[in-house]
Amino acid sequence: MRREMREHVPSVLVATLSAAFGVSLLEITAVLGQIIAADDVTGRSKTVGILLGIVAFVFIVISIYVGAIVTANTFATIIAGRTRTIALLRLIGSSAASQRRGVAHEGLTVGILGAVLGVVSGTAVTVVVVTIATATRFVPSLPYTFVEPVVLLPAVAVVLTTWLASWVGSRRVLLVSPIQATGGAVEKSRDEVSGRRGRNVTAVVLFSVGAGLLGLGVLVGLVNPGGVLIGLVGGILSFTGLVLGAHLVMPPALRLTGRMFGSSATARLAAENAVRYPERSSRTTIGLVIGVTLITMFAVAVASYQQMILAAQRSQPEAYQGVDQTLAITVGVFSVLMGFSALIAAIGMVNNLSLSVLQRTRELGLLRALGFTARQVRRMILAESAQLTVAAVLVGLVLGVFYGWAGAQSLLGSIHGSPGLIVPAVPLLLIGIVVAGAAVLTLVASIAPSRRATRVAPVAALAVD
Amino acid sequence: MQTHNAAFDHDEAGLVARVSRLTKSYGAGSNAISALDGVSIGIRRGEFTAIMGPSGSGKSTLMHIMAGLDTATSGQAWLGNTEITSLRDEDLTILRRRRVGFVFQSFNLVPTLDVSGNILLPFELDGRRPARDEGEWIDRLIDSLGLRDRLRHRPHELSGGQQQRVAIARALATRPDLVFADEPTGNLDSRTSREVLSLLAASSTDYGQSIAMVTHDPIAASYADRILFLADGRVVEERGRSTAEEISSFMLGMEKAA
Ligand SMILES: Nc1ncnc2c1ncn2[C@@H]1O[C@H](COP(=O)(O)OP(=O)(O)OP(=O)(O)O)[C@@H](O)[C@H]1O
Ligand SMILES: [Mg+2]
Repeated sequence: MRREMREHVPSVLVATLSAAFGVSLLEITAVLGQIIAADDVTGRSKTVGILLGIVAFVFIVISIYVGAIVTANTFATIIAGRTRTIALLRLIGSSAASQRRGVAHEGLTVGILGAVLGVVSGTAVTVVVVTIATATRFVPSLPYTFVEPVVLLPAVAVVLTTWLASWVGSRRVLLVSPIQATGGAVEKSRDEVSGRRGRNVTAVVLFSVGAGLLGLGVLVGLVNPGGVLIGLVGGILSFTGLVLGAHLVMPPALRLTGRMFGSSATARLAAENAVRYPERSSRTTIGLVIGVTLITMFAVAVASYQQMILAAQRSQPEAYQGVDQTLAITVGVFSVLMGFSALIAAIGMVNNLSLSVLQRTRELGLLRALGFTARQVRRMILAESAQLTVAAVLVGLVLGVFYGWAGAQSLLGSIHGSPGLIVPAVPLLLIGIVVAGAAVLTLVASIAPSRRATRVAPVAALAVD
Repeated sequence: MQTHNAAFDHDEAGLVARVSRLTKSYGAGSNAISALDGVSIGIRRGEFTAIMGPSGSGKSTLMHIMAGLDTATSGQAWLGNTEITSLRDEDLTILRRRRVGFVFQSFNLVPTLDVSGNILLPFELDGRRPARDEGEWIDRLIDSLGLRDRLRHRPHELSGGQQQRVAIARALATRPDLVFADEPTGNLDSRTSREVLSLLAASSTDYGQSIAMVTHDPIAASYADRILFLADGRVVEERGRSTAEEISSFMLGMEKAA
């Protein structure tokens, strides 16, 4: 039982971060609302407050969505590691359904724990921020109320999504057959995975329909800003298709990046590890793909948006006065908010990689027995981590550039003085930050697993557990 | 890496490995368990040696130390003329890679690699391809072990006996000084066991491969040229080639004495 809860520590962290983010964002929005209401000039207008609320809502939904996907994948990885135990219990008569309920129960516990910790830490952050802001006279000191009932919404959402994620992630419990208690249980290989017709067809259909709608949105956007709504639907559909079909998309990307690391035994084994179990590597990377896609999409959308507004401003200067500064501030705030979802995605990836290394103890022991030096093991894990990160970042960048461009294009294609169709604007600063972030993430993600892996004694391979 | 022992040349004595006054204990104080209690044995070059003894007698422990997989509490172990108990982890690893082969009871193969990848793994680890004569040798192994049409299969697609044959091919591929096998037939039925044992015996008689095999099973031990008996961490008997019946009756006698 203790080991089981230890496996969930990172999921609790993800749930805590999502909840804290939601709670704190709502509280700060409420504080801003109180400041605006107290101001004579803006106080009468309700619009600003409502806009703030909508923006907060969007970012909270995104962070909870990313958190849920990360958690579902973490649970799937944990279940994969428990296959032997589950099979053994099935062998002595436990039903798959009751096993799965047990896992969902763990998910509920994780969600509740994370939500409670999130409300507490999120509120603490708000109090600190507001106290500092009033102390430095950055904002007026008013009798602010922090904890309003509405802050419980993200907390409840986190509990429910974590619970749901554990349920979805534990789907593979149903696939465990009692016979697996006897043999070495292996994850599905590429052929078997590709064979799952229903899911693949759904993924492809969703993606194609979504991409079609996106294209339509861009075209409609040339004459009417309503095109962005068509594009939004297209974006959600196609992206869901991609997430569902990750086991088809990620392996080619991984194989491509795998070639970058040369052909030494360590590099080749790392590449094999990343590619042979598409399910495992897709799980490990998809959270990060989503994170990078979101950041890139947003940055490209803003840059393209800026480019279009500036073009429009040049042709009709009087209509677009003072727009630059507003843009800059919005970009700054939104980037920070987006970065938070990326952080959650990164935690998910680090955690998934550690888990999958932990589950390979015997394999690592065998490699050590056969003559892998500790250094080679470390290098192998670093290469594996780098390969996963690079593949995820590349896919995320490509998707993000496309979605960001489609968004800006469909929203602004028809404004006064618009240049029509534009080439996506890709901010170089963003690329730099993402690449640096990926490098750091690769290192961080490989620290814990490689430390653990080099501690594996060669005799561990021989221990019959 | 060769530390020559002026007093004793293992090559001249026809020994491929030797241990002297080896002890291994686990735990400390009153909980201490002595797994090996002053063991001194030699493994002869080109011979198939079996190490037998009741469960818990220290067979696996002895094999792990001789193969450089585990450390001794005291005493010395040599592979050829290399004293291995004083080697650093890195040197031990390279020694295992180049001069030792392994066949375990189970989980012998890297699940991500196919049969051919597993057989070539020791070369890969050394960062080289097999040389021409090594390639021919490996081809011969693959054919004689009947693995030719399985080369692209992954371990989970093979039966237990096939997996063991792949492990044997890998262990023999580098033509190591000594192959260690810990209950290599422990998971196999009697027919497959006989097959695997004949292969090991043949590689010793036909190619002069030195093999040390740990086993419980008198039938398995009857394939060996020499049999060492362990009980409570000590060597209690040493015999030449024996029939399964002779070995069984000796084991029974040992159990009665205990
Ligand atoms: N890691 C360990 N910690 C504590 N005691 C150990 C450890 N490994 C082995 N032992 C003990 O050392 C003794 C010898 O163990 P060993 O595995 O060498 O026996 P064995 O002869 O191979 O037995 P079997 O035939 O059952 O495999 C046993 O008493 C065992 O309990
Ligand atoms: Mg043993």
